[in-house]
Formats: sequence, structure tokens, C-alpha cells
Amino acid sequence: METVLLEPSKWEQFRSAWELFQDPILCALIAGCVLGFLSVYVVLRRMVFVSAAVTNTAGLGVALAFFAEIHLGVHVDPLVGAVVLSVAATLLLMVEPARLRLSRESLLGCAFAFAGGAAILVGDRIAQEAHDIQGILFGTAVLVTPDQLHAVAVVGAVLMVLHLWWYRGITFVSFDRIGATVQGLPVRMLDTVLMVSIGIMVGVCARALGALPVFAFSTLSAIAALVLDLRLPWTFFTATVLGGIAGAGGYFFAYFYDFPVGGSQTVLSGVLVLLMMLVRLARTPFQRKA
Amino acid sequence: MAHGDHETALDSAHRIAPPQEPGEPLLKCEQLVIGYGGKDILPPMDLVVRRRQFVAVVGRNGSGKSTWFKTLLGLIPPVSGQITLGAPHIRSAYVPQTSSIDSLLPVHARELTGWGRLSGWNFLRPFPSRADRQKVEAALDTAGARAIAKRPFHDLSGGEKQRALLARVIATEADVVLLDEPTAAMDAVAEKQTMLRLCALAHDRGLGVVVVSHDMSVAAEHADVILFVDREHRCYVMGDARTVFCHPAFRRQYGDDYCNSAPQGPHRGNSPA
Repeated sequence: METVLLEPSKWEQFRSAWELFQDPILCALIAGCVLGFLSVYVVLRRMVFVSAAVTNTAGLGVALAFFAEIHLGVHVDPLVGAVVLSVAATLLLMVEPARLRLSRESLLGCAFAFAGGAAILVGDRIAQEAHDIQGILFGTAVLVTPDQLHAVAVVGAVLMVLHLWWYRGITFVSFDRIGATVQGLPVRMLDTVLMVSIGIMVGVCARALGALPVFAFSTLSAIAALVLDLRLPWTFFTATVLGGIAGAGGYFFAYFYDFPVGGSQTVLSGVLVLLMMLVRLARTPFQRKA
Repeated sequence: MAHGDHETALDSAHRIAPPQEPGEPLLKCEQLVIGYGGKDILPPMDLVVRRRQFVAVVGRNGSGKSTWFKTLLGLIPPVSGQITLGAPHIRSAYVPQTSSIDSLLPVHARELTGWGRLSGWNFLRPFPSRADRQKVEAALDTAGARAIAKRPFHDLSGGEKQRALLARVIATEADVVLLDEPTAAMDAVAEKQTMLRLCALAHDRGLGVVVVSHDMSVAAEHADVILFVDREHRCYVMGDARTVFCHPAFRRQYGDDYCNSAPQGPHRGNSPA
């Protein structure tokens, strides 16, 4: 009797290797949710290019950490490199550019171009880590280490608790700064908390998932939610959910159709924007009737 | 009656209540010199904003009125002199231009009014208290913004937006209200209603109201005290409409028309300081 050996289906392979995939999926889910929440501030405060510049700077931080290890013999955790540089970039971008006789866009352009170019130059000198660098910039890494997952989960949880707790203060300061100043809110402190939150989360997530999907989560999630024209709290909730869907869903998509993970997560974020536009279009006639 | 034109508690109070004399000092500018980077742009100024007083600040573009207003708000430091509150319990609130609330922001009028209950560190309480929620509802009623409470701010007309912002300022329970061009980009009807509501805030609810405006007719018709500033000639004039509009410094900028049509005598017989 002849025995026929059937190759297990993709789904069966996925299930049998679930232990291998659960960490990166969980990591992408958490990163997508937290960055999705923060993306509402990024988009409504018109800081999309801040997010782009900070994610690029995080990539440079990781590259510099590898460079220090290989050429200088100094051990710097790439995660620390990413967080330090992204927070530094965030604080730098908070400086009033009028003092330098520049517009904010020009400052952002400088930060974005310099960080991206420098990451490529540094990457050129650390050939043995080239794959890692590519993973950080474009999100091609399939696996995350337990340390990276731990960092994303802890930082994400702390930031979510803080932002839900201080939601009223941070939204007021973000969207009516003068009114909040006159009513005696600690405007500078709340602003710094928001910007540092974005910097830290971008840094931690860029190390684990790559700069490109992090940029997508921190901008496209809010854009998709805002298309629906919901109330502000529901906009935050929807952006959080959509970010999570893009993170985890992008990973599944990449696995089943053999695409790079970061690219899949980014494209899915964009597809969600289109989907929300369709939902809005479909909803409009009913709203008119009401 | 057009949507949004119905009479509010503020409107009716303004018609019924007789005008009262200005009360206690709320905000004092003492030898206040304004400017940027230590450079003064106007001479030292003394001004007291009192309870039940409506103060209009007028002047041409670049005259220094925005600098004066920002100094009053605490956004830029004075070159010298000081701004003090009349008493420790006195609170101030700011009403932004309707256009300064981002058109992308999906905030509803009720939520915007709720921001009026935030002050100092009370945002550490994650949810508004029952008392705060009641005050927000009362403010919406008083400002005639009940019908628009659930509507997105960006969908409202100019007059409705102003009503939502007035609800917010009522919710703050502030003693002094500072407004920047409150009738900018409004039609004549909405402008008139807004100014009447502001008068009602001052004269009936006992607030001090300070308005920066380009519109001389608004100042002439409603203000108890007009402050005219002129950075170019480094001078200011303060007083009732006739005093200001007929002053040579004002006529140098605007001609004689406003002087000829200015109301006779002060609105309420109060002195500015």
C-alpha cells in the first residue's frame, strides 16, 4: 500500500508553531493599540511629521547602539539607544522654532532627513548587523525577543493608565492651550508628558517592530478613526482598536501570504483608512434621513 | 424664527434687569508696561476691571492690543508693572475665537463646556463629579446651548459656536472673562446677539468682561470703558466712547466720523481706574 505524505496546511503549521508566533503577535497588538491611542494626538495636533522624524531617530538610535558595540566595544542595549534618541528628538522638536527663525516644518525636515541618512551611514559600517538594521527601519523582523515584548508591554501599560487617568487634562491642553493656561492647568507639564510618552513608545516599539509600522500605527489609526466623525472619546477608542487590528492582523497577513511583516502592518493600516471611508459613505444616507 | 435665534436666559435677563453700578475691582493693571524681549511698546498703564463692567480694547492692526491681551492672559510677561487679581478667590477665564478650535477636532458642545470645569490640578480626577456635570448642564441652559449640546463643534454656525464657548465660560464660574474678537466672521444678527449675551454676563451676572475688538460700533454700543491703544504713536486713551472717539490720538487714526456719532456721556458713569 502506498503512503501519501501531505504537507500540512499553512494554518496547521501556524497552529503547531504558535509558541513561536505568540510573542510577536502580542507585541504588535499592544504596540498597535497604544500607538493607535496616541495617534489621535499626533494627527489632531498636526504632528504627523513629528512622528515620522521620531521613528527615524529611533532607527538611528538602534544603529548607533550596534555601532558602539562593534567598533567601540561599549555595550549599549539597542532598546536604550532607540528610546534615548527618540525622546531626545521629541524634546528637541518641542522647542519653539521661531527662536531659530525657522518654521516647525523645516526643523522636522532636518530631523527626518538627518536621522534617516545617518542610520544608513551607520548601518553601512556594521555589515554584520545589516539584517537587523533593515528590520528596524522597515519592520522585516518576524520574531521579537521576550525582552522586547516585556518592554513594549510594560511601557504600553504604564502609558495607557497615565493617559486614561489624565485624559481630561491632556485633551484640554492639547486642543485649547490658551484656555488651559488661563484656567491654571500645568500646561507645560502635561504637554511634556504627552510628547515624552510618544517618544518613549515610538522608541520601544521601533526596536521591536521597526520604524515603518510604528509610523503607520501612530498616524493612520487616528486618520481611520477620524474619518468616522465620532465623539472625541470614541475616536480614541476606535483608533486604539484599529491600531491593534493593524498590528496583529498585519502579522497574520504577512505569515499566510509570505509578505514582510512591517510592510503588511503598514498596508493594513492604510486599508483600514479606506475601509472607514467606505463605512462613512455608507452611513451618510442614514444620517441624512435621521 | 431662524435656528439658533431663540431667546436664552442671558437674553431675557439682559432685557429685564436694570443696569447696576460697577462693583469690586476684579483685575488691576498697575503701571503695566507691555512689550517683547524687554522692549516696551506702550507707556505705563493703570487699569481696573470691575465687576459688572464691560471693557473693550480697540486699535488698528499692530497697535499693541494683542500684546496687551496676551500679557493679561499671562502668555507673555510684562516689561514692568504688574497685573493682580482683586482678591485671591477671583478667577479668570478665556474665550477663544471660534476659528481657533480646530475644525478637525471631533468635540461636541457639551464636552467643550465640560472643559470649563477644569482648573489647576483637578484633571487628576478622571471623571467629572456630579456637581460638575450639573454645572455644565446649567451653563448649557443659561447660554441657550442645550439644543446644540450633542452636535459636533465644527458643524455649528458662527453664532452657535459662540454660544457653546459662552456656555463653557459660564461653566468656569469665573469672575473675569477675556475674549479675543468674539464676533469675528459673524453676520450682523449673530454679532448683535453675541454682544447682548456678553453685556448680560457683565451687567446681570456680575462678571467683568474684557473684549478685544476691531469693531468700533461694538465698542461704542456696548462698552462701559474703551481702551484705545496706538503703538505707532506710543499712546493710549481710556474712557467712555465719547472721550475716546473724540480724543486727538484716536481721530489721528480714524478721523472724525466716530466722534460725531459717539453716544453722549458715559454708559454707566464709571471711571476706568
